[in-house]
Amino acid sequence: MFEFDGSPVPVPDVMRETFIHHWDHLASPGATLTGPERIAVARAARGEPTTKAHPALLNLAEHLGTSPGSVFEPEVRAAADVVGDPAAVESIAIVSLLSCVDGVHDALGVDREPLPEPAPGDPTGDIVEGLKRRRTHVPMPQGAIPVAMDLIPAEGAARIAMSAPTYMPDDEMVHPDWSKPGGLVRPQMEVIAARTSWHNDCFY
Amino acid sequence: MLSHVGMLSWSAEHMGYDLDIRSIGDPGFACGVPGGNALLGLVDAVLADGDLAAAQQEVRARLGDGALVHAAGVFGNFQMMNRIAEGTGIPIPKQRIDASVDQIEAVGLQRMIKSQHG
Repeated sequence: MFEFDGSPVPVPDVMRETFIHHWDHLASPGATLTGPERIAVARAARGEPTTKAHPALLNLAEHLGTSPGSVFEPEVRAAADVVGDPAAVESIAIVSLLSCVDGVHDALGVDREPLPEPAPGDPTGDIVEGLKRRRTHVPMPQGAIPVAMDLIPAEGAARIAMSAPTYMPDDEMVHPDWSKPGGLVRPQMEVIAARTSWHNDCFY
Repeated sequence: MLSHVGMLSWSAEHMGYDLDIRSIGDPGFACGVPGGNALLGLVDAVLADGDLAAAQQEVRARLGDGALVHAAGVFGNFQMMNRIAEGTGIPIPKQRIDASVDQIEAVGLQRMIKSQHG
């Protein structure tokens, strides 16, 4: 798993291990969705046909996965009105985290990893109570990306785990001269961040 | 976009680089960050069906093998960040937009302000 066959450069063990751990997370029951439903959302995000989750979630997942800049509040709210805010946030998290794993493969020019087999079991129900919308599409604490998925604590934690080996640790963001040993310096990272966002029509 | 254009300007200034922020919207401009145009070319090759092998080789030649795998990681991370931002709808305050008019015009982000609100 995650052998990156054909990559022009070696992939660090920490990145491979992070992705392997994430695959376990992806396949396992989430806060509101079963393992099969989570994998169905991931399939939809890749533009693959599936019917094994609620159509509202599959439609949102496909749109967010393939054309994120054209996803607007009415679409997210419509899905949340049908399945609930927690399921909508869980689906946004599945799509977003998958796009990181797939994006690394795409940039290295290697085949994407096949999605994992879903694990059995019931949803955990681990949902934060009392959050509200803050001129946002979904409920969240006050803040930005680092807290955007905190309605579902397991998904917020998965985002943190993904960021350090691919970009930089959250607690280093205040340092303009941070660099990854053997990798890029901060301005070089931000060039990639900005151009990727430009292509995706992501104003934020 | 606007957040990381700001972080790019801030970090480039701190590092003493002669950044031309217009290169983010138009890579025909020299970026001013070491290897910056090679990194822009890598992103373009992935998202705009360019010559990926050539773009990868350019990054390796200018910045090294470790830079390419980190660049792939950063690219993946921002595929993720963009979807979190768009899916959850995190807004940018109007005051922040007003204070960033020069950057918005230089990079050509006006169309995104309009689209942010549908």
